[in-house]
Amino acid sequence: MTTQQTTLSSTSPLAGLKVLELSNRMGFYCGKLLADMGAEVILIEAPVTGASIRRDPPFIQDKVDREFGIPYFYFNTNKRSVTLDLERAEGRDIFRQLVKTADVILEDAEPGKLSAQGLSYDEIKVLNPKVVMTSITPFGQTGPYAHYAADDLTLLAQGGWLNIMGYEDAQPTQAACEQAYAMGCMFGSVGTMLAVLEAQQSGQGQHVDVSIQECVVMALENSAQSYELEKKIRARSGNSQRYAGSGIFPCADGYVYIFAGGMAASRFWKNLVEWFQKAGVEGADELASPKWQDLKYMHSEEGKQTFERIFCNFAHNKSMAFLYEGAQTRRIPLCPVSDAKAILNNQQLAARSFFTSIAHTASGLNITLPGAPFHMSQTPWSLRRAAPELGQDNDAVFSSIGLRREQLDTLAAKGVI
Amino acid sequence: MNKGPLAGLRVADFTWIGAGSYTTKILADFGAEVIKVETMTHLDPLRNTAPFLDGKPGVNRSGYFADRNSSKRSMVLDLKMEQAQEIARALIAKSDIVANNFSPGTMEKLGLGYDRVSADHQDLIYLSMSMQGAEGPHSRYVGFGLTIAALSGIQYLSGPVDRPPVGTGTNYPDHVPNPCHAAFAVLSAIYHRRKTGQGQFIDFSQTEPTTALMGTALMDYTVNGRIAERVGNDHPHAAPRGAYPCLNGRTIAISIHSDQQWLDLDRELNLSDLLPKRDWSQAGVRLANRKELDEAISQMTIKHDALSLQNTLQAKSIPAAAALNVAELVEDDPQLAHRGHWIKLDHSEMGKTIYNAPPIRLSRTNFTMNRPAPLLGEHTHEVCRDLLGLSDEQIDKLRSEGVFN
Repeated sequence: MTTQQTTLSSTSPLAGLKVLELSNRMGFYCGKLLADMGAEVILIEAPVTGASIRRDPPFIQDKVDREFGIPYFYFNTNKRSVTLDLERAEGRDIFRQLVKTADVILEDAEPGKLSAQGLSYDEIKVLNPKVVMTSITPFGQTGPYAHYAADDLTLLAQGGWLNIMGYEDAQPTQAACEQAYAMGCMFGSVGTMLAVLEAQQSGQGQHVDVSIQECVVMALENSAQSYELEKKIRARSGNSQRYAGSGIFPCADGYVYIFAGGMAASRFWKNLVEWFQKAGVEGADELASPKWQDLKYMHSEEGKQTFERIFCNFAHNKSMAFLYEGAQTRRIPLCPVSDAKAILNNQQLAARSFFTSIAHTASGLNITLPGAPFHMSQTPWSLRRAAPELGQDNDAVFSSIGLRREQLDTLAAKGVI
Repeated sequence: MNKGPLAGLRVADFTWIGAGSYTTKILADFGAEVIKVETMTHLDPLRNTAPFLDGKPGVNRSGYFADRNSSKRSMVLDLKMEQAQEIARALIAKSDIVANNFSPGTMEKLGLGYDRVSADHQDLIYLSMSMQGAEGPHSRYVGFGLTIAALSGIQYLSGPVDRPPVGTGTNYPDHVPNPCHAAFAVLSAIYHRRKTGQGQFIDFSQTEPTTALMGTALMDYTVNGRIAERVGNDHPHAAPRGAYPCLNGRTIAISIHSDQQWLDLDRELNLSDLLPKRDWSQAGVRLANRKELDEAISQMTIKHDALSLQNTLQAKSIPAAAALNVAELVEDDPQLAHRGHWIKLDHSEMGKTIYNAPPIRLSRTNFTMNRPAPLLGEHTHEVCRDLLGLSDEQIDKLRSEGVFN
């Protein structure tokens, strides 16, 4: 087992990179990306309670327990866990010892909190000039909103994305699965690697300051340019695109998304018409008339409604799988609006072994979860260890910086670790 | 002088449209030398996609294209011609990274496949961002940003509880999940290369990163057998939480995560008068009666201006935010202005126009964003002469033979 772990980690691209992670709410996926690429990521948690994400549902077997949370389990693969109370001077001293051995510190505390604990970047870099500190916070380290209260939903609002998400005739609805935090983490991982690569050459680290609000702005497509150049203020457009032939439509067992009409999609229209004509779809010949080449008509209510009537009449008794294959074999961009079950049954994901599994010690279950988000030929993604139990690696990590058994026992008795 | 953390790295960039171009923008804005290879007869569709300067179409006038291609140079090559392919291979030979987002097999057909160009270039990092990966039963399927959203689960999971899926409004996978995961993969590969001297092939399926972001919802099915459904704006620990109407058709988002925040919200909006008698100070009571809370809050928020209410509630440390529109983000948002998010770059045909800066600040070697988007083929001569060592005569001859189309 030990040999196998060593071999695997030595072929991971970030093997040898050491990360101290202080995430509490927003930074976990960033730590996961680094850990899954082979970095040694040590998650530092508050003694007894652990990181707050441990309390997030759903739970494995619905058991409300700090070792059973699915978000905790998913976002902390390949990490180690130590407990350390940074509210106490002794805890901070140990943290400073760890800093001397680290390449990266990842944190998501409110700006100023680490500074109040004497652990700001400026203080850290005195201990270890090559260390990179990545801070993922709602608005960044400084500025008029730096101390504003926020969560994922309010950040979607302040980044301008919420306003254009959802139905036109209702209040907006958020993107699923906390995408504001996810974006902070994705850009955080990029920023971390930029600084790590630079530190390899210069011998100096730096502070990487990620604003989640600003990350959300990146999801707005061409909104800012449309505003500046054409004075257009983008609004919500529901689940349909602006042209006939595009949007989400119901079928026998769910919904499909199709992109076959208007602008970039116009080239797929004739494939759709051929498909419908061969299949003897009622109204197919109507779709063949020249007016469907006219963007104005495609944009009109009449055009959109006519398409919807003809498409839905055909699709209402067809399955997502049938429509997906039927459309794609004729080069029409149509896909199932997949739920969890459809995704687990997706043959392409299966062929790429997208899902993987690992044992969960506390329940004895084998847990299936998404694996590699991309394939690297020389340094494949690997799941080396499941998310750690709280404080699982205290002995190994603290003894590596020279703390002895009796010291550890004393610190544990005092609640520092 | 800061040249950016990636100074000294060269990218032969064959990407186009959305996700690919945004990936190489990240590398370019942080100092990599990115040379975008374009083909006149098969233009990057974004060059012909709105918005245009003054609303007038033109290959050098698209703001959409410009934003995705800051800090890059452009050369044109008609890659159907053998001589053009030779030049492309010469460019790759002098590059650290190759990036493309064509369908599987396209680069091979152009004589630019990984096996061929890496044979004498073992440390080359080669990123291929296809729709569904290089191999497998659906690897030839066509797709776009929203077909990825459909396949990944984010479309199904986003929207109100009681209506069909609505998705997330933009081609989200193209803008953040795919560019960031791809850039992260490339940077990780560089780290590995510095240790070992070894390059590699990155087979990137554009459906997978967004699917990975749905991990917790997918695992509720793999572990507990439950198919996750849409939850609107609900959150397991926060209630009330939602998007509420304000004056002038505007919206405010409010999320209550603690009993103290609830008490303060109640005080500011006088909600108790509108609610039936219950112990609303208990989180459990609030979580069980979201709808009643939402209705009461909506009745009160609609009397307020969204931004003033945001600031009033923020003074009490309540997570509250006006749902800003793009005009407000560009013109008025004090935090984005403080961060310097909007960058104006001077483009020779478009003049000074707006670009997104990367949302990351590096304290010592920040992004440079040292040039606007390139004109189509603007740097063809420069690259051929200065980088590839061709003489002016050779370049003129190739031009007359139609290689630079």
